[in-house]
Amino acid sequence: MTDAQPSAPPPHISIRALTFDYGGKRPAVDALSFDIAKGEFIGLLGPSGCGKSTTLRLFAGLMAPTSGQISIGGQDIVSRPPWERNLGLVFQSYALFPHMTVTQNVAFGLKLRKIGKEETAARVAEALRAVRLDGFGHRRPSELSGGQQQRVAIARAIVIEPEILLLDEPLSNLDARLRDEMRFEIRDIQNRTGITTLFVTHDQQEALTMCDRIAVMNAGRLEQIGTPTEVFDRAATPFVANFIGRANTLRSTLDRNGPSLLCDGQPLPAPPASELPASGSDVSVMVRPHAIRLRPAGSGGVAATVARRVFVGNMIEVELTLTGGQTVAVELQPNDPAVPLAIPGAAVDLDWSRDDMRIFAA
Amino acid sequence: MARLISLLARAYVMAVFAFIFIPLLIIVVISFSADSYLSFPPSDWSLKWYGEVLSNEGFMQGLKNSAIIAAIVALLSLGFGLPAAYALERLDFPGRTLIRNLILAPLILPAMMLGLGILMVFTPAGLVATYPGLVLAHLVMTLPFSVRILQTTLSNLGADVEEAAMTLGARPLQTFLRITLPRLMPGVVASSAIAAILSFDEIVLSLFIVGPRLTTLPVAIYRYVDERTDPMVAVLAVLLIAISLAIVLVVERSVGFAKAFGR
Repeated sequence: MTDAQPSAPPPHISIRALTFDYGGKRPAVDALSFDIAKGEFIGLLGPSGCGKSTTLRLFAGLMAPTSGQISIGGQDIVSRPPWERNLGLVFQSYALFPHMTVTQNVAFGLKLRKIGKEETAARVAEALRAVRLDGFGHRRPSELSGGQQQRVAIARAIVIEPEILLLDEPLSNLDARLRDEMRFEIRDIQNRTGITTLFVTHDQQEALTMCDRIAVMNAGRLEQIGTPTEVFDRAATPFVANFIGRANTLRSTLDRNGPSLLCDGQPLPAPPASELPASGSDVSVMVRPHAIRLRPAGSGGVAATVARRVFVGNMIEVELTLTGGQTVAVELQPNDPAVPLAIPGAAVDLDWSRDDMRIFAA
Repeated sequence: MARLISLLARAYVMAVFAFIFIPLLIIVVISFSADSYLSFPPSDWSLKWYGEVLSNEGFMQGLKNSAIIAAIVALLSLGFGLPAAYALERLDFPGRTLIRNLILAPLILPAMMLGLGILMVFTPAGLVATYPGLVLAHLVMTLPFSVRILQTTLSNLGADVEEAAMTLGARPLQTFLRITLPRLMPGVVASSAIAAILSFDEIVLSLFIVGPRLTTLPVAIYRYVDERTDPMVAVLAVLLIAISLAIVLVVERSVGFAKAFGR
C-alpha cells in the first residue's frame, strides 16, 4: 500500500479477517483487515448495505463476528461484552437518555466507573466545554436542538476517555447548514482530544474533508484504504473510482507491446507501464471529467462530437460521443478557453494527461 | 350536498354516543330511586339504596375480595409480564414468534372454555374458591394484555439508547434498571391499570371457581340480579363504573392514557 512509511508506529488498533455472516447470499462483512494508528481519524465509507455499520457494531460488541479479530493495543477484544470494551459510540439517533439532564447523561459512564464526585464533575464540565455546551448541563435532551444533542452524545462518549470513538453517520440527521458546521466541529474536537476515531459515513464529501485516511467498503469487502488524495486520485478499483467523485469509463483494448490503448479503434494517451493491469487485453480506462481537455478537431487526440452542454453555475458540463458511440462527460471551468468549442454537434478532439487515468482489467 | 353529509355525519356520531351512554345515564338515575323496584323515571328520590349496598355484608365482602385480588393480579401481571415482554422484544431465541403469538391465545379462546379447563385443573389441585386460585385464573386473562402493552412500549423505545448505555459500561441489569425501566414507566402504569380493571370486572372465569367461602363482587352481583331486581343493582353498577373510572383517572393523571399506550 502506498501509505506505508519506513518508520510507521505499531498500529494501535488492528482488524484481522473480520467476518460477519448471518447466512445471507454473501457475508455482511467479508474478511476485513486494516490497521488504525493512535490518534488517527479514519473514515469508513461506502454505499448503504456495504457492511460499514455492521463493522461499527462488531467493534462496539453489539454484534459478535463469525470470525476474525479486533485488537486494541495487542489485545483481542472480540470476546469481551460491550460494557468491558471502553469504546465511545455516537449513534445516528444520538440515543441520549431522555429522562436525565445533560450533566447526568455525560456523567453516566463515569458513575459506572465509580469515579469520585469531584473528579466526575470536573471531567463532565471539561467534556461539555470541549463540545461548547458549558452552561447547558441542567437541560433535558428534549430542550436541545439536533446539533446540541449531537454534541452531548459526543461529550458523553469522549468523557470516558475511550480507546476509540465510533461515530455512526453522526451528521445525517442534521440539516445542510448545521452539517457543514458540525463537520468541522467534530474534526476540531478530535484534534483537541486526540482520540482515535472511526467515522462511518456514506457521504464521500464528509469522508474526503474530515478523515486522515478513508477505508472504502463495498459488498462487505474493503476496496481501498488510503488518504483522501490517494483514494480520489489513485483509485485502486473501478468501484472506488466511481463511488468517490465522478469518473468516465471507456471500454478499451490494451496492446502490451506499446504499450498502447485503443478505444473503438482510436488511440488513447499511452499509459506508463506501471499502470497496466496484470493480465488481459480488455480493460476499462477511467478518467475524471475535470481532467479532460477539449481541443479543436484535427489537433491530435481522441475524436469526439459534442452532444450536450449544460451550465451548472460553477462549471460547464459537456457530454460528448466518441466515434464508436461511447459517451464521455467533461467538466470545464467557465473561463476555460475551450468553452467556445463546446457547441452541440461540433467535432472536437479530447486529450488528458497520462497521470490522470486509471486502467483496470475489464 | 357537502352540508347535508356533514349534518348526517354529526347525527350519526350523536346516535352512537346516545346508544352507548343513555343506558349508563338511566342506571345512574335509577340508583337514586326511592322505589323498591326498577322503574324509569323513579317516582321519588333517595340515597337509601346506596345505604343498603354499603351495609350489605355479602357485597362488602365481595368488594374487599375483588379489590385484594385485583391488586395482587395487577402486581403479578407486571412481575411476570415485564420479563416476558422484554424477552420477546429484545432477545433472540428459537420459537420467539411462536411464543409471541401463543401468549395472545387467551384473548381469542372463549372464556367459557378457559373457565372449564381451569376448573378441571384447579379442582384436583385444591385451588377452587381460594385467593391463589382466583388470582391465577385472572392472570390468564390479564397477562396477554400486560405483555402486549409492555411489548409495544418497549418496541417504541428502540434499542439504541440501551446499547448506548452498554457501550458506556453498563451491564445488562444496570442498563435495565437505570435506562429501560424509567423510560418504561408509562407502559408499566398502563398495563397494571388494565390488569386491575380486567380482574376487578372479571366474571366468566370467576363463576367457575368461586365458592361459598370466597366470592368476588361481580359474582355476588350476578347472583343477586338472578334473584331480584331492585335499584340496588343500579347502585352496584354505578359503583363498578366509578371504581374503573377512578383507575383510569389515576393513569391519566400520572402518565396520560394515550401516552401509556405508546402513542
